[in-house]
Amino acid sequence: MKRGGFILLLGLVLGAAAFCLFYFAGTAASRDIMKEPQPELAWLKKEFNLGDEEFSRVLKLHDAYLPQCAERCKKIAEQNRKLQELLGNSLNVTPEVQELLLERAKTRAACETEMLNHFVQVSRTMPPSQGRRYLAWVEQQTFLTSQGMEQRHHAEADGGSDHSDHSLHHH
Amino acid sequence: MQRVLRQWKVDAPLPPGFQDQVWKRISRQEPQAGTNAWAELLRVAGAILLRPRVALSYVTILLVVGVAAGSLTAQVKTSHLDATLRARYVQSLDPYHPASSHP
Repeated sequence: MKRGGFILLLGLVLGAAAFCLFYFAGTAASRDIMKEPQPELAWLKKEFNLGDEEFSRVLKLHDAYLPQCAERCKKIAEQNRKLQELLGNSLNVTPEVQELLLERAKTRAACETEMLNHFVQVSRTMPPSQGRRYLAWVEQQTFLTSQGMEQRHHAEADGGSDHSDHSLHHH
Repeated sequence: MQRVLRQWKVDAPLPPGFQDQVWKRISRQEPQAGTNAWAELLRVAGAILLRPRVALSYVTILLVVGVAAGSLTAQVKTSHLDATLRARYVQSLDPYHPASSHP
């Protein structure tokens, strides 16, 4: 009876130990990445197999890009605030609103250009095959792929008309 | 004898709170029944595990289940962390990203 109980317990303890061992071994790399000061960049290094030298170049590019990005973000926020203010004062699309919309579009274009430049520069610091993979991936994740309305229109053109979706675009 | 027993009547009243006492004793016994069932189950399991083949199979199965569950959970956790970091990288660069902290 005592021996049977010991075997019963031994099985449970071994099972639990195996679970813990494989869980901690399996998540060790991810936990190490999370301990880094910039985990998202450490992830980039791991994902695209970057060497230390390549990674330090990516870091430099990233650090140079962020302050400029923050400046542009401030500008976008200011334009959004102004637009809301103008739209709150009037129900018409005044010339002032039109001008602001144009300015906002220009800021967006400039922002996207700078972003694309950054992506290309980062991809060039990587080995060619990884660089191509990086560019393809950021294209998928950012503004470079079709989004929102144009994607829905494209889907409708492919799969026949969907009246419920179309009704969203009637102005 | 049987005739005498049939004629015999008990006139003495039940002591006060007799029924309550009975129910209390029954309720005290019930948890013990549960404990006994557990003890019985453990006794049977222990007896079965005394057979070397059964014991070996039992330990092996629990080990395999532990390894598989640990690996699977680690995989799920890792892919979740990867997805979080991917999103954080994109959000840090793209102010127009839907989940971006930028405007």
